[in-house]
Amino acid sequence: MNWSDYEAVWKRQDLPVGAHADFAVLKETFEKKRRKLAATLFARDILEASAGIFVSGVLGYSWWHMGREGWPMAFAIALILGISGLFVRERFRAHRLRLGTDAPLVAKVEADIAELYHQRHLLLHLWSWYLLPCTGALVIVSATMVRVLIINPPPGVFLSALWENPAALAWTILYVAVVLPLCFCGGWKINRRTVRKQIEPRLHELEDLRRSLLSPV
Amino acid sequence: MNPPAALESLFATWIEEHRGIMVKVMRSFARSETEAAELQQEMLFQLWISLPRFAGQAKPSTWIYRVCLNTALTWRRGTNRRERRIEPEADVTRLAADAATPAETAGHHDMLEKLYTAMQAMPSPERALVLLMLDGLAYGEIAEVTGLTENHVGVALTRARQHLATLLKGVTDELE
Repeated sequence: MNWSDYEAVWKRQDLPVGAHADFAVLKETFEKKRRKLAATLFARDILEASAGIFVSGVLGYSWWHMGREGWPMAFAIALILGISGLFVRERFRAHRLRLGTDAPLVAKVEADIAELYHQRHLLLHLWSWYLLPCTGALVIVSATMVRVLIINPPPGVFLSALWENPAALAWTILYVAVVLPLCFCGGWKINRRTVRKQIEPRLHELEDLRRSLLSPV
Repeated sequence: MNPPAALESLFATWIEEHRGIMVKVMRSFARSETEAAELQQEMLFQLWISLPRFAGQAKPSTWIYRVCLNTALTWRRGTNRRERRIEPEADVTRLAADAATPAETAGHHDMLEKLYTAMQAMPSPERALVLLMLDGLAYGEIAEVTGLTENHVGVALTRARQHLATLLKGVTDELE
């Protein structure tokens, strides 16, 4: 057997012809899947940014209740809105740079690799653009509340009750000093795990693929 | 974005006219009937959602090769198992990997099986290049599908052919 025999067999291979599905049914199946995918992406886009907007709304409302003494809350709101802004920027960036499967093979693989490196960078530097601003906002909010309590304690409100109740104060301090940091550390660990278990293996796969595609002539 | 009616009609025509491309990619990249069905569904889905982006910038066959090969090369076996239920109504044609038709003689069928077995032992990128070469695409067309330069395609194909020849000899020895 020589090479041209194999080529001839390849060209002559018969392609199985079977029952054809109703195109309308096929279209409905794919449209359902496409809508589900679009909804997932949309929800992710919206949730990440809107969480920050919601929290900023709550902080704004608290500031309004505190009156003029609550002015440092503006910095906390700016930090939270800044995080939301970063999420929005990331979403636009991802939509803009995403290549479809109709791109040339090399370009598609390289685009996927670049995106994975970017995701990895964001997750490994979560402290700088997410956790630190959140912590900063929390510190500002806590300090502002304490300041308002000292300057102008509102009667009959939870915060003044807190001030007069050592046990409640202790629980609050425990929450701020222990529970919240544990949540942040937990979030950090989950992200590290995502990088290790999902992003890096996929990155290695795609890099091997790229290396094979572009192996030196 | 929902393709307009013209694109829908184009999709229906293409999966009929170019199903050979999908069959060959499936046979080259899937290791079992289940995987073949999974890959088929994924390729059809990718063709469907990519269709609005087709604006005649490439030949339909080039465009379909790109979508099918990109899907096969980056497809992850066993993922999305929950969604992998094969919808009976979405099984467009019976693109079973092992289907043989009366027109194929036993000898040709044997050779074809050896060829596919050898191809499946190759690294995915080489496999893709060999598939395109066997389908009779010119170096320029292969370059357009892959994004490689023509020069690179030439050298890579020479290497891939040598590798395939070695594998074919091994498969033949094993089966005889």
